[in-house]
Amino acid sequence: MSELLDRRAVRLDETAADKEEAIRLCGAALVEIGAAEAGYVDTMVAREKSVSTYVGEGVAIPHGTLDGKALVKRDALAVLRFPAGVDWDGEQVTVCVGIAAAGDGHVELLAALAEILLDEDQARSLREATDVDTVIGLLSSVQEEASE
Amino acid sequence: MPTRTVAVGSASGLHARPAKLFVEAAAAAPVKVTIRVGEKKPVPAKSMLSVLALGAKKGTEVTIEADGDGAEQALDDLAALLASDLDA
Repeated sequence: MSELLDRRAVRLDETAADKEEAIRLCGAALVEIGAAEAGYVDTMVAREKSVSTYVGEGVAIPHGTLDGKALVKRDALAVLRFPAGVDWDGEQVTVCVGIAAAGDGHVELLAALAEILLDEDQARSLREATDVDTVIGLLSSVQEEASE
Repeated sequence: MPTRTVAVGSASGLHARPAKLFVEAAAAAPVKVTIRVGEKKPVPAKSMLSVLALGAKKGTEVTIEADGDGAEQALDDLAALLASDLDA
């Protein structure tokens, strides 16, 4: 399988006025690397309206609805960092991990990501990362999980 | 300690919406509830990250545990929530 985290989808100096803009930027990154059809972005926004994808530690994980799965071309992640933060229903989000997933492989993927965020040091490293290689290194365990 | 073991009923497993609904219900319970998969370490049921890290799919058996006043009722409610399809 191709790389889950394409370095072109790691963007560390983004700004967004609100969470919808942040979600659309994540979606646009997934579309640009060829992981999803343009329509997937709207399903990400719809998912967020039905339930917040904020998971804690300043991280949100926007992804599409079940209906959006048909618009996924391959499983992929996008990591966008918003140094100034984005208001997420009262929580401050610094990192968005956008997810495109067609099957249920993303359950393992989310589990691996959650493991990283449960480790305070790793969570802080992710929030403070300023270079792409740091992010790819931090998330390498997620990639391994997904390719098993 | 009172426990319940149930198979996850949601089609997409215990993540995203189903996980959120379960975590919110666990946080609202009058007792501290833990959740685990098999014999792995129990984690706080009200922590979204901990619950996501379980990696529970549809059909995965999870065990919830709580102690104190209202534990039996809280576990019954949470077990019913876990067993239902929250994606539907």
